[in-house]
Amino acid sequence: MSKYELNDILSMVLRIGVVLSLVLLLTGITLLFVLHGGGGYTLEQVANYKPGQSTLNSSAIPLTGMVNGLAHLNGIYYITLGLWVLIFTPISIVVIALVEFIMSKNRLYIVLSMIVLFDLFFAMLVVPALFHV
Amino acid sequence: MTPALTLFNFFLITVGGFFAGLLGSLTGLGGGTVLVPLLTIFYGVPIIYATGASLVSTIATSAGSASAYVKERISNVKIGIGLEVATTIGAVIGSLLAVFVYTHNLDWIIYVLFGAVLLFSLYPTAEKGRHEVPPVKAPDWTTRLFQMTGVYYDARLKKDVHYSGVKWWAGEIVMLFAGIISGLLGIGSGAMKVLGMDWAMNLPMKVTTTTSNFMVGITAATGSSIYWYAGYIQIFIAAGTAVGVLAGSFVGTKILVRMSNKNIRWLFFAVLSFLGAEMLLKGLSDNGIFQTSSPLRLGISALVSVILISGLFLLIRKQEAEDVKV
Repeated sequence: MSKYELNDILSMVLRIGVVLSLVLLLTGITLLFVLHGGGGYTLEQVANYKPGQSTLNSSAIPLTGMVNGLAHLNGIYYITLGLWVLIFTPISIVVIALVEFIMSKNRLYIVLSMIVLFDLFFAMLVVPALFHV
Repeated sequence: MTPALTLFNFFLITVGGFFAGLLGSLTGLGGGTVLVPLLTIFYGVPIIYATGASLVSTIATSAGSASAYVKERISNVKIGIGLEVATTIGAVIGSLLAVFVYTHNLDWIIYVLFGAVLLFSLYPTAEKGRHEVPPVKAPDWTTRLFQMTGVYYDARLKKDVHYSGVKWWAGEIVMLFAGIISGLLGIGSGAMKVLGMDWAMNLPMKVTTTTSNFMVGITAATGSSIYWYAGYIQIFIAAGTAVGVLAGSFVGTKILVRMSNKNIRWLFFAVLSFLGAEMLLKGLSDNGIFQTSSPLRLGISALVSVILISGLFLLIRKQEAEDVKV
């Protein structure tokens, strides 16, 4: 893979990630309004963010319910997926760069990008486990 | 609340995001830095949800604009990923600090720090652009080891600019702090990243700004996942701001290339310093160190912003005049 191709692939992945996430976010919002809420929450509950009144935030949305939520046209999960697509977009950049470093046998940068990926997954998998202790 | 009112509310949040994205891209500070004060001061959004929404929106703008810069081959992917080692570690530390602060009801610290970071970011951000290409420094051992040489085509200078970065380790130290600030305050801390690459590593301004741009997304992604599990992301707000900030920064970049009068930027800096002073005062007031009523805060912040920005304007004007003489 040449340097030329790497930048083009990265640029394309970034763009696809952003567009896909936007589509999901807007679909989710539309579903919430059309179906007056989702997943047992009323539209009003989903939209309420006032201190002390807010009933729904990310800690109450288990990611394990994703497939089921999407299948039942639950707007909450369309927004959730949109936000996670957004979070994964920059991560995929590091993965693609890592592949490029492996192919060009750039040892130092293979190690560096693996450390970055480790940090990302540490934040994603290890840290949340600490919250449940 | 009726559905119509809720829809209007969503619209208002999106508009707020749009202004934050617009102002963020016109000043180069990024959408999150404007979004958090906007949501907390004018929308009554609790600061945990404001920072959560900001972090997510930061990823959207970073990815949106980085896709163009990466394609044009100005941003240096290699240098960026190398520096992300420190920013991602910093972001984990910062997010955990945020969790500690919020679980101990120390929200005022976030307000104070946010205000301080915003005010201190103004000078380097306003000053940048004075030196498009830094004076060449002799490469050091890190230049070769970390492969920090590169070349980009500068459309304005109409030539290829060759550069080589130095002091990789110094860059990493600055990036660690940039990461901590990002995780703690829910912003991309792009201004601090630019500072690290510009002052510590001696990279050209175009390379630092565009590389920082794509780095911000990776840093914010690290913090966002921790924020998600901690419950700091309110999806209704986050969805609205992500859409709004993205649209705003897109328009902002279009305006920026056509803006002929650079002095207009000073008006935007004044707005930012106002928001910074307001956040700082709110934090001090909440803690009881310096109690102020809401109208009094607005007055003091407006005054601070006028004095600060006129001072900064004169200072940078003077430096520019000296540059011309030399």
